[in-house]
Amino acid sequence: MAERPRPLHAQDKLAFLLSLVPFLMDHDRISVSETARHFGVPEEQIRDAVRLIAVSGVPGETASYQHGDLFDIAWDDFEENDEIVLTNLVAIDDSPRFSAREAAALIAGLQYLSSLPEHGGRAAIASLMSKLARGASGEPTGVAIEASDVDEALALIRRSVELGVQLRFGYRGLRGEREERRVDPLRVESVDADWYLRGWDHGREAVRTFRLDRMSDLVVTDDPIRRRPADVALPDSLFEGSPDDLVVTVDVVPSALPLLADYIPEGSTTRAVGDRVRVTVRVSHYHGLKRLITGLAGLATVVEPPDARRTVAEWARAGAARYGREGER
Amino acid sequence: MPASPAPRVPVEERLFSLVLALLATESGLTKTEILSTVQGYRQRYSRTGDNANLERQFERDKDDIRELGIPLETIESPGAAGNNQTLRYRIPKGAYDLPADVTFSAEETTLLNLAAMVWREGSLSAESRRALLKLRSLGVAAEDPVLGYAPRVRVREAAFEPLRTALDRHHLVEFDYLKPGEHSARHRVVAPIALIQHRGRWLLHGEDRNAHGTRNFLLRRIVGPVAVTSRSYAPFPPEATATAQRELERIWTERTAEVLVEPGSDAETRLAKRRDTSREGDRLVLHYTDAELLAEELASYGPEVLVLAPESLREAVRDRLERTALAHG
Repeated sequence: MAERPRPLHAQDKLAFLLSLVPFLMDHDRISVSETARHFGVPEEQIRDAVRLIAVSGVPGETASYQHGDLFDIAWDDFEENDEIVLTNLVAIDDSPRFSAREAAALIAGLQYLSSLPEHGGRAAIASLMSKLARGASGEPTGVAIEASDVDEALALIRRSVELGVQLRFGYRGLRGEREERRVDPLRVESVDADWYLRGWDHGREAVRTFRLDRMSDLVVTDDPIRRRPADVALPDSLFEGSPDDLVVTVDVVPSALPLLADYIPEGSTTRAVGDRVRVTVRVSHYHGLKRLITGLAGLATVVEPPDARRTVAEWARAGAARYGREGER
Repeated sequence: MPASPAPRVPVEERLFSLVLALLATESGLTKTEILSTVQGYRQRYSRTGDNANLERQFERDKDDIRELGIPLETIESPGAAGNNQTLRYRIPKGAYDLPADVTFSAEETTLLNLAAMVWREGSLSAESRRALLKLRSLGVAAEDPVLGYAPRVRVREAAFEPLRTALDRHHLVEFDYLKPGEHSARHRVVAPIALIQHRGRWLLHGEDRNAHGTRNFLLRRIVGPVAVTSRSYAPFPPEATATAQRELERIWTERTAEVLVEPGSDAETRLAKRRDTSREGDRLVLHYTDAELLAEELASYGPEVLVLAPESLREAVRDRLERTALAHG
């Protein structure tokens, strides 16, 4: 996924310098562009770092940074050919260890992914985790994520991508309507415990997002795909707003505000109303809204529009009514 | 004419020079040696005057360097214990270098990239980015995956960051916690053991100092700010995290709820796919760890679900539905 380059803090720049040196040591001669590609950074960032490395070193015997106490590069190759050749090395000869927190972040990430079909199974993951722990300068503990329970759907999605063929499956939307979909799978995404397939929907002639737990009867067809991931620009965010979205005003208990974060457009303002916060949310239809609000009973109330209030009230009343009918027990 | 100011040395150059100087010394350098000779300090060092600012700078730099997992050591001179002037600083190469047997294959590198991507939003994103830098310094390129993944774990709760800090420093935390079923929050003093994401929710596993036992606290039920105290606690053994996860798994296995789902509904599709759910016609037996969270989820399905057992869950769901209906009536 394309990531926006971020401004680096001095600490990040230090980590970058300490990582770049051993990489350059392992390559007798390497171009700036290849190095930039490998690290996924702009070429100018590599050049800046190399210029700094080339004049850095240790105070040395004389405590005055004599020539032999500094790194050096072949300047002609650097300036004329944009290539990096280290000609003098100082102090460093290996990659740094991971910090305990860094290793802990990766280990927790691996735990989360350990049920994905590709990764040679849990034994391979466990060995990778212990390697990370050995490569850390402290005990990496404190953060853990439960393995996601991704179902067999993922294996079939992967198979259809491998073969370059369309996927067919039944999809039940929020209204309970079941439709057969034909899709060119583009990418699998997740948010916490929820997994999604983003794909080119042949019926809709557009990119659509499908919850894995709403898909059923998956079939890997023989029909070749028409869209590859490279052909389609996938927006970064799973939940895209649309101009057709419905706008709803909700009063919410302040501590529950994060639970609505997916539905609150960026830059929107809130204001206090009694002990609650009034906020505007955007939803694509009321079927999602009524579920959201009913789940947050006591924490969030729809203020307007009236038909949104009515939809929520009817949903909750219909649910409550089922408990009145004793015959159902 | 005023004296021209010392040329400004960029922060990363000072930090890089400090790391190089401390790596290059076997016996360590005293603070005075560092401030008077190392690039970035020496330009601002006064042989006759007060170096208090520079000393404070050095303290902050040490913290920044240690945060990257670099083992910056302090050695006391024999016979001069407690004397700050004779303390020596160094970075032992053996503890700095990534052990030679910690290497990663292209396949492992791909997986670690994915594990880091999990954290691209929020709290641990800086750590995972740095871990990736160090990984790239080993020069192994990731493979192009067959199927593109964009996994994401979110941390929306404001409590996460202070709790993570407290975990790292082994400091007790205090916060107000609203236990389900209670109307007012109670003040807790807790020794954090681990932050665990379980079924998509973050919880703090810790030792409650007043209840004298380990407890799980859902982060979203922490009301108000978390205070990190200056009181420390003895670190828990590293396996405490795994023990807590096994305990959660045991609770999950033990607790079941029986529900009736409306045929052809969204609730039917999704609940049937929950992990470990067993099914007999429209009757599902679901597993859960937190009754309130399950009640929230089941209430959101409105009339699509009727809870049969346990009675307390039935009441909790019914209560939510009635409250929502009332609030929107």
